[in-house]
Amino acid sequence: MAISADLIRGHLDAILLRLLMEKDRYGYEIAKEIGLRTEGRLEIKEATLYAAIQRLERNKLIVSYSGQVTHGRARKYYKPTPGGRAYYREKRLEWLAIKDVIDKILEDETSENQTTR
Amino acid sequence: MKIRQHVEEMFRDVPDSDEKQSLLGEMIADAEEKAADLMADGKDEEDAVNKALVELGDLSEIKLNLMGVSPRRAGGGQRRRRNNLLYSVIGSLLIIALMVFINLYYSPDTIWFVYPMFGVIWWPLSVFLHYLNHRDGDGK
Repeated sequence: MAISADLIRGHLDAILLRLLMEKDRYGYEIAKEIGLRTEGRLEIKEATLYAAIQRLERNKLIVSYSGQVTHGRARKYYKPTPGGRAYYREKRLEWLAIKDVIDKILEDETSENQTTR
Repeated sequence: MKIRQHVEEMFRDVPDSDEKQSLLGEMIADAEEKAADLMADGKDEEDAVNKALVELGDLSEIKLNLMGVSPRRAGGGQRRRRNNLLYSVIGSLLIIALMVFINLYYSPDTIWFVYPMFGVIWWPLSVFLHYLNHRDGDGK
């Protein structure tokens, strides 16, 4: 099942920070990596990605620098700041908590079809 | 080079700035790389370029970010509310003047125009209240 960017809106920041913590990357590299890891099920439109990057940069969670030349162009690379790393850890715990809570209710299929009278 | 033209066209309504130039350079480089990847997967050039451009998606949020906290919208709201207030004041004054005229012209012995005037006055008063309530909201 394909997942739209709307559904993960609140967690896109965490996804981007995680990918940047592994190594510094540039815009398209991030998009490609997301597609690769989710086997194409999570498709982030470039516009959404750049908007998220702008937001992270403005909040000083990531910084950019001109990196080496790939494909004939000087690329703008991003890397997380210490604040960004802390924010990622916080968001990660938050996600684990949300996942756990929703699983508790939705994963339980035994009582799904019971009707109360 | 088609990609560069198209992306620049998409951002024509955004005032020029270093931030804009840097973002455009990035978007163009990314879109070109994506098109190259798509061509490597066997698409012909036109298809690949189109797909890369279409998949940029909705640019409105990026544009708003580039233009800052859209000063146009905040200032315009204030001006529009001031116009609403002016309109309601002038409108109610005209109605009251008409009633005063009818009153004095046809029945000068009974002063009745004051009573409907109280009704009409609620119009500018409520617009004024709305104006006051929103003035602080726009200030920040």
